[in-house]
Amino acid sequence: MKPSRLMSAAVASLALVLLAQASSRPRYGGAAHIVLRDRVNTLDPLGEEDHPATRDRMNALIFENLTSMDAQGRLRSGLASSWQSDASKRVWQFHLRLAEFHDGSVLTAADAVASLQRSMGEWKITAIDRQTISIDATASAPHLPELLALPRFAIAKKTPENTLFGTGPYKFSEWQAGERLVLTANDDYWGGRPFPDSIEFQMGLPLRDQLLERQLGPYAAAELTVDQLRSIEQTNQNIMISRQSDLFAIVFLQGDDAAGRGRKPVDPRIREALANTVNRGAITSVILQKRAVAASGILPQWLTGYESLFPGNNSMDRAKELRSETAALVIVPPIALAYDASDPISKLLAERIALDAREAGIVVQPFGEAHVGNKQARSSLNAGAVLLRLPLAATEPSVALAARMDEMGLLPEHSALNLKADQPEQLFDLEGKALQTFRVIPIAHSSQAVWLSPATHNWQQSPTGSWQLDQFWVEGAR
Amino acid sequence: MPKRLSALARCFLCLLVLSICAVAQENSAAAASATEFAQQIVERAGNPQSMSVSFQNISVLLPEMQESVQNAIFTAFRNANIRLVKPEQSTVQTEIIFSEDWQGYLWIADIQSGANKQMVMKKVPRPERAASAKAPVLTIRKNTVWQQDAQILDFYLDNQQLVLLEPTEIAIYAGDGGQWRPRYTLAIVHPESWPRDLRGRLIVNGSQLTAFLPGTRCTGSSSPPTLECRASDDPWQIDSSGLAGFFSPRRNFFTGILAGSSAGASVIPFFSGATWQSGDLKQWLFTGTDGRARFYQYDLSAPIAIFSGWGGNMAAIRSPCGSGTQLLMSSPNDSVRPDAVQAVEVLGREALPVSTPIELAGPVQAMWTAGKNSEFVNGVMLSPETGRYEAFTLNVSCGR
Repeated sequence: MKPSRLMSAAVASLALVLLAQASSRPRYGGAAHIVLRDRVNTLDPLGEEDHPATRDRMNALIFENLTSMDAQGRLRSGLASSWQSDASKRVWQFHLRLAEFHDGSVLTAADAVASLQRSMGEWKITAIDRQTISIDATASAPHLPELLALPRFAIAKKTPENTLFGTGPYKFSEWQAGERLVLTANDDYWGGRPFPDSIEFQMGLPLRDQLLERQLGPYAAAELTVDQLRSIEQTNQNIMISRQSDLFAIVFLQGDDAAGRGRKPVDPRIREALANTVNRGAITSVILQKRAVAASGILPQWLTGYESLFPGNNSMDRAKELRSETAALVIVPPIALAYDASDPISKLLAERIALDAREAGIVVQPFGEAHVGNKQARSSLNAGAVLLRLPLAATEPSVALAARMDEMGLLPEHSALNLKADQPEQLFDLEGKALQTFRVIPIAHSSQAVWLSPATHNWQQSPTGSWQLDQFWVEGAR
Repeated sequence: MPKRLSALARCFLCLLVLSICAVAQENSAAAASATEFAQQIVERAGNPQSMSVSFQNISVLLPEMQESVQNAIFTAFRNANIRLVKPEQSTVQTEIIFSEDWQGYLWIADIQSGANKQMVMKKVPRPERAASAKAPVLTIRKNTVWQQDAQILDFYLDNQQLVLLEPTEIAIYAGDGGQWRPRYTLAIVHPESWPRDLRGRLIVNGSQLTAFLPGTRCTGSSSPPTLECRASDDPWQIDSSGLAGFFSPRRNFFTGILAGSSAGASVIPFFSGATWQSGDLKQWLFTGTDGRARFYQYDLSAPIAIFSGWGGNMAAIRSPCGSGTQLLMSSPNDSVRPDAVQAVEVLGREALPVSTPIELAGPVQAMWTAGKNSEFVNGVMLSPETGRYEAFTLNVSCGR
């Protein structure tokens, strides 16, 4: 019996399906080894850390927040099963679900209050009953639930011995600062035991040689830098690339209001001139391998829809004019630009920025520094400016903007990360004001990339580039 | 033949009309937003007598939609007695930019009045992409039964009632003029937390309800509404032909130890199983947790064929087509991606697809054989786009 044409087509389509990969339902068991680019020295969500974004990736498996963000970037419940606010959206109540810390103790409202008070002392946080807390944000906070999904608001129980316990799907098993972290599945997790038995993070492996020689067999996933992508793509390996979520930006450490205190701020005209010298086109297409777009705002166009309204600041003539004007009045000193010494992309970017600046007669002296990513340590750096790589903290623009401005030191003190802004016009104004002083010079919005083993399943990435591993599982388990 | 052509033509016309209606509806919603936007611009510009307007589209807004929006904006300006003039003839210049963010459109008006600059921004939802107007050529038909935010593990449907099994309750709905109205919810009380990828099985027999969840069995009735749950490792009923199996109390799979009509036999741990009769021949198929499906004939001593790369969800369905029994199987994609379901027949030692895959909007969460004569498959999927669970039925019809 000859198969009909329909049958042949169907056979062909099934053949394609069969060639794809293994079963769709998640399987339990197995150990997943994940390679991280940066080294992390503390897991304390509020501790000083040179690579907080990498720390937060790991912490997302150990600690939980009252609210969370799903793989589509939508707000979801976390340790709070429900919440409501008063009409002014100033006072919020969160009802906690039944959950246990990894030391076996039950999560109570008092634990949540203590944890949140460590994160945000400006709020008035009280326990209403054993399972309900109230947060008075002291001003209207329409996006408080989204704000509480930020890693800094992770609910952690701190013992008198300074040990931290979370409630998340994985528990600490082994920790070697800067080297490796081993987590084991939390059998009693309220959301169900995670699929892998354990996850081991290995930090600071460059992977260049292993990737090219396709020797990543033992790993489930590995963080990549954009310059590694081209060669990997040619070998037809499985790579997941995020939206352009990370921001590379130059941030001047001293504000104009800091004159007379400590290091002298860089003249605002020179800051504007420097902004105009940066050849963003060359940076995005060559250094960032077309995995980035030129940035004119703090938040990317795809998130806000209004970034294109900010001026691009890419006129070398304007830069030269500003430099001459300033040099006629004051001595223009060199700008010491610190970048993350462990990030080869940042080094290339800083060198390119210095090269472009030279054309306008501005001297930029790039140098690698270990603590550029550490907000507290940054303030004592002997540098005029830093080149930062900033992750996108949220899909809600007001929360994302607040988090970035806070990280860059542009947010007024005691603002509690609450921009009180709800409408696009308000956010556009706020962002525009932050940009017009040129204390921050946006360079590029760049993608994140991760290599995935063929045995890795259900690896999800949210629009912000954060990993969503709640359904993640690995083949080869029992 | 002419009759068939005419039916096809009618179908095509119907789809065309539906598609035109959908586009018209989208355009009219956009026009309403445009009117509101124009009024905000007029207000922000201080009700000028004249104004110049230019447009820029940096979004995926379609040209026909853009035209409709522009016309609505012009009309609103005229209604506000504003003369639209060239830029050099007016002190107020407005540039309207159709932009977008990751969730929808953002319309921006950049109003320049002398040295004064004003902005108006309006978020406009992006219309859902209309369903393809392509005529279906598939033999698997899908019917959406219910959608909700809460997780659905399994469901039962007849003319009078819809019963949903959820992680924390059984929800009973009664039919009322083509709508399902909530009647009762019966709480599922269980001491342990559920495993991940929670699965459940609901059996309804008249008013009698039985729900199987990992390590738990609930029994009760819909009339009077009662439900009692207890820790239990009783085997789950897999289909109406008597196949039953023990389910792991802390995992998402059947242990492989069978009960019911195959009691005493064991196979490897599996996600889904089916048994059916082909003439006098009894046959079984199990989708193993190792990603391979095993096909048995006569008895369960050893599989006679092993198929690789099948999806984990599978259910048998009876139809008047082909051999009379097909297996509907999900795709082997990751379970966080949109799925597809395809009908397969096992002939000899070979699995032959007998339909083209039907694409679903999300991953399949559950598939169980249903109906008095196993003529349906009840399915549940999770739409990544909406975050909602959808209960649906599948049936197979012969031919295109």
